[in-house]
Amino acid sequence: MLTSTPARIAGYVGRKVAGTILTVLVLAVAVFILIQITPGDEAVAAAGPGATAEQIEQQREQLGLSGSLPQRLVSFIGSLATGNLGISSASHGPVTDVIAAAVPVTTELVVVSVILSVLVAVPLAALSAIRASGRGEELRRFLIVLVCGLPTFWLAMMLQWVLGAKLGWFPISGRYTIGATSVPTITGSTLFDAMLVGDWSAMGDALAHIALPATVLSLGFIGPAYRILRTEFITAAHRDFVTVARAAGHGRFQLLRRHIVPHVMTPLLILVGIEFGSLFGGAVLVESVFARDGLGAMLTNAVAQKDSTVVIGGVLVIGIIVVVVNLLVDVVQTLRDPRLRSAEMGV
Amino acid sequence: MTATATPQRRAPRAAGAAFAAARRGWRTRHRTAGSVLDVVGFAIVGVVVLTALVGPLIAPDVYASHIQNARLAPSAAHLMGTDDQGRDVFWRIVVGSRTTLSAAVITVILYSVIGVLIATVAVLAPRWIGDMVMRVVDVMQAFPSLIFALLIAALMGPSLQSSIVALAATGWVVTARLLAGIMRETLTEPYVEAARTLGVSTWALLLRHVFPNALPTLWVKWAGDLGITILLIGSMSFIGAGAQPPSAEWGAMVIAAKGYVTSAWWGALFPGLAIACTSMGFALVGDAIHHRLSHRVKGH
Amino acid sequence: MNEEILRIDGLRLAARGPDGAIPLVHGVDLAVRRGERLALVGESGSGKSITARAVLRLDDDITASGSIRVGDTDVLTASERTMRSIRGRRVGMVFQDPLSALDPLVRIGGHIEPLFRARGMRPVVARSETAKLLHELGVPDASRRAVSFPHEFSGGMRQRVVIAMALAGDPDLVIADEPTTALDVRVQKQVLRVLAESTSRRGLAVLLITHDVGIVAGFADRVAVMYRGRIVESAPTSAFFSDARHPYSQGLLRAVPQLDRPGRLLPLDRASIPEPDDDNSVLVEVGQDHLVARSALAAAPMGAA
Repeated sequence: MLTSTPARIAGYVGRKVAGTILTVLVLAVAVFILIQITPGDEAVAAAGPGATAEQIEQQREQLGLSGSLPQRLVSFIGSLATGNLGISSASHGPVTDVIAAAVPVTTELVVVSVILSVLVAVPLAALSAIRASGRGEELRRFLIVLVCGLPTFWLAMMLQWVLGAKLGWFPISGRYTIGATSVPTITGSTLFDAMLVGDWSAMGDALAHIALPATVLSLGFIGPAYRILRTEFITAAHRDFVTVARAAGHGRFQLLRRHIVPHVMTPLLILVGIEFGSLFGGAVLVESVFARDGLGAMLTNAVAQKDSTVVIGGVLVIGIIVVVVNLLVDVVQTLRDPRLRSAEMGV
Repeated sequence: MTATATPQRRAPRAAGAAFAAARRGWRTRHRTAGSVLDVVGFAIVGVVVLTALVGPLIAPDVYASHIQNARLAPSAAHLMGTDDQGRDVFWRIVVGSRTTLSAAVITVILYSVIGVLIATVAVLAPRWIGDMVMRVVDVMQAFPSLIFALLIAALMGPSLQSSIVALAATGWVVTARLLAGIMRETLTEPYVEAARTLGVSTWALLLRHVFPNALPTLWVKWAGDLGITILLIGSMSFIGAGAQPPSAEWGAMVIAAKGYVTSAWWGALFPGLAIACTSMGFALVGDAIHHRLSHRVKGH
Repeated sequence: MNEEILRIDGLRLAARGPDGAIPLVHGVDLAVRRGERLALVGESGSGKSITARAVLRLDDDITASGSIRVGDTDVLTASERTMRSIRGRRVGMVFQDPLSALDPLVRIGGHIEPLFRARGMRPVVARSETAKLLHELGVPDASRRAVSFPHEFSGGMRQRVVIAMALAGDPDLVIADEPTTALDVRVQKQVLRVLAESTSRRGLAVLLITHDVGIVAGFADRVAVMYRGRIVESAPTSAFFSDARHPYSQGLLRAVPQLDRPGRLLPLDRASIPEPDDDNSVLVEVGQDHLVARSALAAAPMGAA
């Protein structure tokens, strides 16, 4: 193979992206089929109660529900590809706008939660790996399983009530204190926008509001992360090359840094990919409890208001996000491991 | 038998004499912790199942409102207080146990059947079909069931049924993958190949060798799954994609009580606690079964 | 200068098992002098590997009694800190399996350079020293190949990297634990030669652990034989090959083809080997620097093979 290195990397990435697009296509078709087979007339629902026959027909046109099955499928995929997700029956605006406003809010929650989870789970797992047995260790494991196994929405409510309402340590809802400060909208996420602009008090306010929701959401990830990382730490520490490095004189910290942690990062990354979907699910619950206007709130409100275009659009977007995240995890993994790099790209 | 992730656990004290005999001479240091948890798990599940079966028969009417009794604190008359409609929380939980548990059982049965069918197709059909199925499985695996439930709720109207459909539609994936793996592995075993050369039909092979081989893993999975499903059903009711008020489904109870949690915390705390304990009980039972079965396989 | 680099006295090792300690080594005495090459020979399970690993205290689940002295430091009572200063710097170790001995995520040079930097060298110097060392050990195009990853190296090449890791700290003693067992026969010869040359060039002592009596002849100055956790014989190499006294040593030699002794190879006859215990394992001098367990003298002399 005489292709240059950049060309090979491009080829690899290209292949992966093509696969992703195919997956998204399959997803869209699946959603389409689902819409067709479930009872209920979307046009009627979308047009709202008390709509005239004309209005319903209009909705039908707009939603691409007229015409034969193949025609409808094509128009469905077509409008997806062009980024047209329809009109919301509640706000009468484009669904894309509604979603675009909600995505950054959920993203900031998920990102903060993942960071928090990693910061907690990695040291805990390392600690457990070092003291692999004993009374204290069993208790630690039991407690972690217990706390992380609690129902997310219930825990959220309880914490909101106890730490928020009763003790007043944290704000009980919303993303920021209304009217306290105003931050320009760059990304749509108050927290990140405040960081970008350097408005520290606004950032602190946003952090205070995100503290409880992120903590609750992170627990859902800390559970599996702790369990898997603990095993991975123990496995990594017993690998031959660690013994060899130790015999060569490396100190414990050096061993951890150079030879153990890099090997633990890969399973962690894979886990993020696997759990990302359920993180989104948890985000829905948490947003509902803490009244944060992200994708979760958007979807639940849409269901309550029978705004099916928003729900369908939202589900598709979330599906795409999940698929893309999995793609990223896959690519990063390959880039990090020289053996995989050779196999996949010949680099 | 494919190994599921091995928990770093101590051997539980043998429940029966048979186990004790087999384990004589293999002393362990940490007997008590594991066995206590097993007992706790079985106890919780036992209580919940009993309540679901018997409870609604002896409970008073939990759907009628008595506004005059609204938001009474827990007392002798109302063990867990009353909600904002004046209904006794304790009895609603008892009645709701049947709703919640039966919904979970139906869901698990549904997606297990679907999963088994699809796994069988994937393994027995020509390679390219199997590969395509597995690809779909890969795609679906990452998608959160909660969000899917919202989609189904939007399409068919939110109800307990819609949440069951949503869970069944996403739940078959893990079962299918697990089973496909076990089936493929079993089908390559020497004794299966021997049976095949003797002319045994594939169907008979499946029924007599492959499926029974998968059963231990499935039992463990079903037990744990029931716990997770109860959690999910409750969560779906909570966000309005499942059972709707005035249902006594535990999740629906929590969302209905959310509005007044500061003034009457018992309305939200107890149903949520019920969900938490029940799902934990099933998880413990799943672990207990896992222990017994993996120790038997290891020949200890 | 006949100072002892390594001296082991009455070493007993036991593994921690679920039902209590499992004794593995029952009182081993061993010494390696500066520049000397001692081969510790025995079958799997004889305890030779854990004895070697005990010198660097690599196994945390082994309990030890007796003494292991590296220079004037007692390894068994030393702190972990002291151990870190011994590992690699005073005693280097070469391991058995080259395929798993290197971290697949770390470049070849990255395995060796930190060891040079730990000696106080600047990164640039460490890098050139690494290339020099690899070149000396027979890695072609060393400076370019130092940036490769382990999976791009063959088994023999990887073992040279492992040897480099053992030498980089400038130790006085190199312990080689079955360094050639996992390699092809042809590569075995090469790697042994590399090990021999690089250690003699530096005047290093070598403790070679092996089950293969055949590689001992051309390599070691002295041979010690271990059986069931005890030393049963130790002698200078020539004395060992010409006049082994213990039935076990004789059995080992009979199982190896020797040019000057045509005839069939014989499997080890365990019945003829006295079971070692604390009493009959006391070593008795039978010749110049030649020690044998007492049990051998009581046993009837073996007839000609």
